[in-house]
Amino acid sequence: MQLTSLGLVRGIIGYFVGLVIGMAVVVISRLALGMSAWDQEAGWVGGIIFAMIGFMWAVGSLTDWFKWTRGVETPFHHGPPVGKPAWTRYFSVDYNHKVIGIQYGVTGFLLLILGGSFALVFRAELADSGISFLQPGTYNTFLSMHAWVALASILLGVGGMANYLVPLMIGAEDMAFPRLNAFAYWINVPAIITLMISMLFGWDSGWTAYPPLSLRGPVGYQMVFWAIFGIGLSSILGSLNLIVTMLTMRPKGMTLFRMPIFCWAIFATSIIQLTATQLIGLAFLMLSFERSLGMPFFNPLYNALGENIGGQPLLFQHLFWFYSHPAVYVFVLPGLGVISELLPVFARKPLFGYRWIALSSLAIALVGFLVWGHHMFTSGYGEYLRVVFMISTLLVAVPTGVKFFSWLGTLWGGRLTFPTPMLFTLGAISVFLIGGLSGPILATAATDLFLHDSYFVVGHFHATIFGGFVFPFFAAIYYWYPKITGRMYNETLGKIHFWLMTPGFWVMSLAQMTAGTMGMRRRIADYDPALGVEPVHLLITIAGFVIAFSILLMIYNLFTSAEIGALAGNNPWRSRSPEWQIPSPVPEHSYARPITVVGEPYDYGLAGSTYVAMAGAGDD
Amino acid sequence: MLKLPQSSTDRKHFVIVGALVFIATIALGFFLLAILPVKAQHSVQAEPIRWLFQLHVWLIAFLFALVVVFMLYALIVFRKRKDDDSEGEHFEGNATLEVIWTVIPLILVIVFSFIGFQTLRDVTRGGDEVQVEAVGFQWAWTFNYPNGVVSQEMVLPVNKPALISLRATDVVHSFWVVEWGPKQDLVPGMTTHLHITPTKVGEFQIVCAELCGLSHWNMVAKVRVVPEDEYIAWMNQKLAEQNIQMASR
Ligand code: HEM
Ligand SMILES: [Cu+2]
Ligand SMILES: [Cu+2]
Repeated sequence: MQLTSLGLVRGIIGYFVGLVIGMAVVVISRLALGMSAWDQEAGWVGGIIFAMIGFMWAVGSLTDWFKWTRGVETPFHHGPPVGKPAWTRYFSVDYNHKVIGIQYGVTGFLLLILGGSFALVFRAELADSGISFLQPGTYNTFLSMHAWVALASILLGVGGMANYLVPLMIGAEDMAFPRLNAFAYWINVPAIITLMISMLFGWDSGWTAYPPLSLRGPVGYQMVFWAIFGIGLSSILGSLNLIVTMLTMRPKGMTLFRMPIFCWAIFATSIIQLTATQLIGLAFLMLSFERSLGMPFFNPLYNALGENIGGQPLLFQHLFWFYSHPAVYVFVLPGLGVISELLPVFARKPLFGYRWIALSSLAIALVGFLVWGHHMFTSGYGEYLRVVFMISTLLVAVPTGVKFFSWLGTLWGGRLTFPTPMLFTLGAISVFLIGGLSGPILATAATDLFLHDSYFVVGHFHATIFGGFVFPFFAAIYYWYPKITGRMYNETLGKIHFWLMTPGFWVMSLAQMTAGTMGMRRRIADYDPALGVEPVHLLITIAGFVIAFSILLMIYNLFTSAEIGALAGNNPWRSRSPEWQIPSPVPEHSYARPITVVGEPYDYGLAGSTYVAMAGAGDD
Repeated sequence: MLKLPQSSTDRKHFVIVGALVFIATIALGFFLLAILPVKAQHSVQAEPIRWLFQLHVWLIAFLFALVVVFMLYALIVFRKRKDDDSEGEHFEGNATLEVIWTVIPLILVIVFSFIGFQTLRDVTRGGDEVQVEAVGFQWAWTFNYPNGVVSQEMVLPVNKPALISLRATDVVHSFWVVEWGPKQDLVPGMTTHLHITPTKVGEFQIVCAELCGLSHWNMVAKVRVVPEDEYIAWMNQKLAEQNIQMASR
C-alpha cells in the first residue's frame, strides 16, 4: 500500500504545497504593486489561506462537489476502501457518520493529551516561585497554546459524541449531509497544523487575544486567528448538519419529546454553535486584517488634535465574549446530556422530569446569549452595564439548578449500580457542582472586581469544564466503548482511573480558588513568594500530575481491551436506547430496517413497555 | 442500626437527609471560609466585598451540602442489593417539585441581584479628596499628581478617599492592589477610574492583572499608605526636588 493513498498524507502534502503557492502569490502581487517583496504578515496570511484550501482539496473532501459541478454522478461507497486494510478509512475522507464520529473523537482525545501536556510543562514551572526552566516568553506561549488546544479538543470531542451518537439514537442511516460532515471534520486538521506552526513564532495573549496586545506580538498570532477561523467553520457546518438531521430524519413515532435526552442537549448546543461562532470568526478576521492590511478596527489612533480616529479596544472584547460565553455552554451542554442519558440506565428508573431537563438545555443556551458582559466587569464599560449583566448572569443558575435537582430525583429510589461510566457520571455531577456554585460569586460584580483575572476564575472554569465536559466525555467513552469495539474495557483499571482522577481534581480546583483569594493573579510566569501561595501551587501541580497519570491508565485500558476484553454482546447495560438493540460493533448500515418508536425513552421499571420496535431487524 | 424504610417517598428519609444537610452545611461553611481567605481587607471598598463573599460562601455551603448529601444518601440507600433483580421505582417526575426548585432559585436570584447591586454601589463609591493618575505601560507604572509631582511609587494618605484615574499608553493593563480589593482595567484610548479609601498604613504592591505581554508577571510598583502629615511632607519634598531639577535644566 502506498502512503499517498492515505488522505491525511495527501492532505499534508497539499497543505505545504498550498503554503508555498500562497506565499508566492503574495510576493508576486506585492512586486506588481511596487512594494518590497516580503512582508511576513501578508506572506503568512496568504500562505495559510492557500495551505488550508490545499489540504482540503488534496485530502479529497471537495472531490464529489467538483464532480457535481460537472454533472458527474457520485454514488456512495459503503464500507472500507476496496483493496486496502480496513483501518485506512479512518485516515481518509469517509462519509459514514460512525467513522467521522471516531475521527472527531480520537482527534479530540489526542488534542486533550497535547493540551494537557502543555499545562504540565508550565505547572512544573509554577510548582515553586522563581523562574526555573521556562522563560516568560515561552511560558506565555505554552499558556496560550494550552488554552486553545484544550478548547479545540473539547469542540472536537463534542463533535465526536454528536456525530457518532445522534444518528444512531434517532435510528437514522447517516447524517443529513454526509459530505458536509466529512468537510466539517477535515477542516479541523489543517487548522490544527496551522495552530502548531504558531508555536515556532510564539504568541502571548492567552486565548482571549485582546488587542492592542494581539496586534503587536509576533506573526504567530496570524496563525492563531486563521486556525480558530477554520475550527469555527467546522463548528458552524457541523451544527447545521446536526440540526437538520434531528429535525428531518427522526423515525416514525419519535416526537421531539421522545428523542433521547442527549439529542436535546446537542440540539441546544448546535443552536449556539451555528450562530455565536460567527462572531469570533469575524472578530479574529478583523484582528488579522488590522495586522496585515492596517485597517484600524481596534487600536486607537490619534490625529493632530488628539482625537481618536482609530478603533476601540473594548469593541473586540464585546465581540469575543459574545461568542465565548455561549461557547462555554457548547462545552458543557453535551456533557450534561450524557449525565442525563446515563443516570436512568444505572438507576433503572425513568429520567426525572424529562421535559424540564430538555427545556432547561434550551433555556441555558438562550440566556447564555445575554450574559457575555460578566467577563468585562472591570473593563471600563458603562457602570450600569455591570448591573444588567450581573442580573442576567445570575439567571443562568435557575435552569442549571433544575438539572441538578432532576438528577437527584432520578437517583432517588433506584436500584443503583456503579460500573466505571456511572462513577464518572457521579464524579461529573460533583465537579460541575463546584464549578457551577463558584459562578454566582463571580456574577455579583462587586466580588468579581476582586476575583477577576485571579486564580479563583481559573478554579471556576476548570471545574465547570471538567465537570461539564471531561468527566462526562470519559463516562461516554467507557459507556459506549463496548458498542464501538464490541468488547468490554477493564473494570478494575477503570475504577482506579476514577479514584485517582476525581479526588485529584477536587484538590486541584479548590486549591486554585484558594490561591485566587490569596491574591494570585492568573497568567503569570512567576509569583511573589510573599503572597504565601507557594505550598498551594505545589499542591496544584501534584494534583495535576496525578490527573495526567490516571488518564494514561485510561489510554492503556482502551488500547489493550480492544484486543483482550470480554465480548460485550448487544446490550451489556440493558439500555432501552435503539443503538443498544443492534449488534456491537455497529454494522456498516446501523439499522437493517427503519425503526419505529412505540414508547417513552426512559420507562425503566414499567413492565412490558419498550421504546423502539425493530421490525425484525438487527442481527443480520 | 437504624432500620430504613423501603419506600423512597417515606418521610423518614427526608428527616434524616435534612439533618445531615444541616450538619454538612455548617461544617462545609467553616471549611470553605478557612480555605478561601479573602486578602482584601485594608480599604473601605474591601469591606463590602468580603461581606458579600462570605454571604456567598454560606449559600454555596448549603447548596453543595443539599446536592451532595442527597446524592450520597441515595447512592448508599438505593444501591442495588445482591440477588435483587427488580427495577427502580417508576416515577417520571413531579411538576410541583420542578416548579418549587425553579421558583425558589428565582427568588434567590432576585435577592442576590438586589444585594449585589447595593454592594456594587458601596464598592464603586468614594470621594476625591486625593487625586492621582496612574499610567500603565509595558511593563511599569508612573504616578502623576495634580500639582505636577511625578513619582515611580504611589503615596496616599490613610483614611482619605482617593480617586485614581487610570490610563494605558500601549495595551490593556489592570490596576490591582490585592489588599484593597477591587481592580480596574486601563484601556488605551480612554480613562478609567477607581475609588479607594485605604484604611491601613503600610507598603503594598500594585500589580498588573491583565496579561500584557512578556514581562506582565513583573509589572509591579510600590504603594505606600502613610499618615496624613507624612504624606504632606513627602509631597513637599517631591515638589522641592522637582523644582531643583527644573532649575538646573
Ligand atoms: C456552565 C458551565 C460554565 C462554564 C463552562 C464556565 C466557564 C467560564 C470561563 C471559561 C470563564 C473565564 C473566562 C476568562 O476570564 O478567561 C468564566 C468566567 C465566569 N463565569 Fe463561568 N462558566 C460556567 C458557568 C457559570 C455559571 C453558572 C455562572 C454564574 C451563574 C458563571 C459565571 C461566570 C462569571 C461571572 C465569570 C467571569 C469571571 C471573571 O472573569 O472575573 N459561569 N466561566
Ligand atoms: Cu461567561
Ligand atoms: Cu500590564
